[in-house]
Amino acid sequence: MKKSSGTFGVLKRFGFNFMIIFILVYLLFPFYWAVNSSLKTESQLFMTPATAIPRDPATLEFSPTMQNYSAVLRDGQFLRGLANSSIVATSTTVLALIAGSFAAFALGKLRFRGRRPALYLILAMTMFPQVTVLTGLYAVITALGLSARVSMIFAYMIFTLPFTTWVLTSFFKELPDALMESAQVDGATTFQTFKSILLPLTAPALVTTGLLAFIAAWNEYLFALTFTSIDPTARTVPVAIAYFAGAVARQEPFGEIMAAASLVTVPLVVLVLIFQRRIVTGLTAGAVKG
Amino acid sequence: MTSNHDNASSKSKVSSPKVKMSNLAKREERLAFRLLLPALLIIAIIAFYPLAQVFYTSFTDRVFASGQETNFIGFDNYQQLLSVHITTLDPVIDEATGEIMIDPETGQKVYERPLDVLPREPSRYREFNQFSLFGNRYVVGATDPSFIQSVSNTITFTVVSVFLELVLGLAIALVVNSKFRFRGSMRAAMLVPWAVITVVSARMWEWMLAPSRIGMFNALFDWMGVIDSPIAFLASGTYQLPAMIAVDVWKTTPFMALLLLAGLQIMPEDIFEAAEIDGAGKIRQFITITLPLLKPAIVVALIFRTLDALRVFDIFQVMLGQSQYSMASYNYFQLIGNRNMGLASAIGVIIFILIFLFAISYIKMLGVDQE
Repeated sequence: MKKSSGTFGVLKRFGFNFMIIFILVYLLFPFYWAVNSSLKTESQLFMTPATAIPRDPATLEFSPTMQNYSAVLRDGQFLRGLANSSIVATSTTVLALIAGSFAAFALGKLRFRGRRPALYLILAMTMFPQVTVLTGLYAVITALGLSARVSMIFAYMIFTLPFTTWVLTSFFKELPDALMESAQVDGATTFQTFKSILLPLTAPALVTTGLLAFIAAWNEYLFALTFTSIDPTARTVPVAIAYFAGAVARQEPFGEIMAAASLVTVPLVVLVLIFQRRIVTGLTAGAVKG
Repeated sequence: MTSNHDNASSKSKVSSPKVKMSNLAKREERLAFRLLLPALLIIAIIAFYPLAQVFYTSFTDRVFASGQETNFIGFDNYQQLLSVHITTLDPVIDEATGEIMIDPETGQKVYERPLDVLPREPSRYREFNQFSLFGNRYVVGATDPSFIQSVSNTITFTVVSVFLELVLGLAIALVVNSKFRFRGSMRAAMLVPWAVITVVSARMWEWMLAPSRIGMFNALFDWMGVIDSPIAFLASGTYQLPAMIAVDVWKTTPFMALLLLAGLQIMPEDIFEAAEIDGAGKIRQFITITLPLLKPAIVVALIFRTLDALRVFDIFQVMLGQSQYSMASYNYFQLIGNRNMGLASAIGVIIFILIFLFAISYIKMLGVDQE
């Protein structure tokens, strides 16, 4: 935003700030409610009307509880789930980005027969609902004798690979051909051009697709539930949370689920904070001039 | 490209330009195949068999998790799912007076019972809904009204939520793309809804939408004095779909926003500088420069959002259970609840075809992918 002066400028800045606050409230409020619920005891959760902060049922004073958090952290399942999820989601993302960016470069920048069928074939692999492909996928994994973690990494390719490929293809296509030609005139091979010129230019797209794919893999539930049924030590966070047993047997431990959800979301936000620098800097603007 | 090589080959008289081009083209083609290989291998290993199996099973009466013999039954599953029959409902004539019977309570004409007029062969049609047109009353029957309902739910859900996500996502992307102080933190905060585990987020919203003042929304609306009695958001037919749409829009707008933001980010700034010098206003710049340049990013974002929306499962399954289906949650019900794997696979194929149609129409409509 340019600094504008005068009443109009003030008004404009005010409007802009208002918009930012509105967006933040809209996006963050439900998460705030999850954190709020995670700090409540069972009886506080069932207070009417619901309170915006944890309050003591009798005195209505602010009284948060950490019992849900300590219950979650004491649960070995959950911490192991965090480790499993990190391994699975990271490997999935790296694999999907490598295979995806290779394919995307071919699809976006090279001329060859069968380009369009290849593009649609890759998209087609993700067009079935997960439930439908589950049995077939399970058969493949049993036949290959893959471990639970490796099965998840491969299975997640079904939805991450088409995504990375398609997004990156559209970004490669946007880069001017002149860039590639000038590099080739300088004697670089096509692959070198791809690796050292085009790839860095699409850094914002790589980071963005990587983050979105990572989170999609991190949050996946149905495949993880099925593939870890034989190996409980490989359970990822969503599955571990589903297996939480409440203190009261018949009641589902809502407070604990919310505590776990809050705990899981924090590392993701930190991850985004680390990587967002890459999204911001985006080495692009100057270089694309050609 | 062409001019460069023409120059080069005209200097060297040995090789004709044509041969040189085709050599280069061949090299390019070979490189393309090598680059595509990892992706194609992954598809071949992990996706080919399951997808082929879904297609095949959709033509059989296979029962899930059983040793029962499987028969090939052709298009029967599709017929069962998709048969729709529209017929007129005639008013009932009162035999005593010979006049049209009127319901004494509502004052409306009494019509035949739909079940009496709808066909029973090859399988029984049940009522899906009724409508009036030019003074006639019609009934829409289907052999599987729950499925037809799930298709209509899913398509409404998809069209409305993807549209809202596009508008909101674009607005957020534009705001975050401008320079301001807390931009970095804003980008991280922006992703929170997408980062919350889907199954958990469904639980969270279920709690917030609880039908009493335990729920955040009923407590809030009551406090604001908007409502007299708590609303059962997830039980009443009026609010079920809007609630699903609200939850999905909240959860996936960040996905849309981030993809569009990346598209905005790689736009060369000098175009805007030039436009500024030419005196084009912000709105003009947006319509004539930003939107057209953003088109490829928009198409890809639309395709993937639509793809996910048409397969929506978690939120319908967790929040509505069996009271209202999406296509994928009906699919799950048929597979796990009824163990009807053949029928479930046919639903999968129908979803597949729907997604394909949407994807193609986006690409055609927005005119991307023109060589």
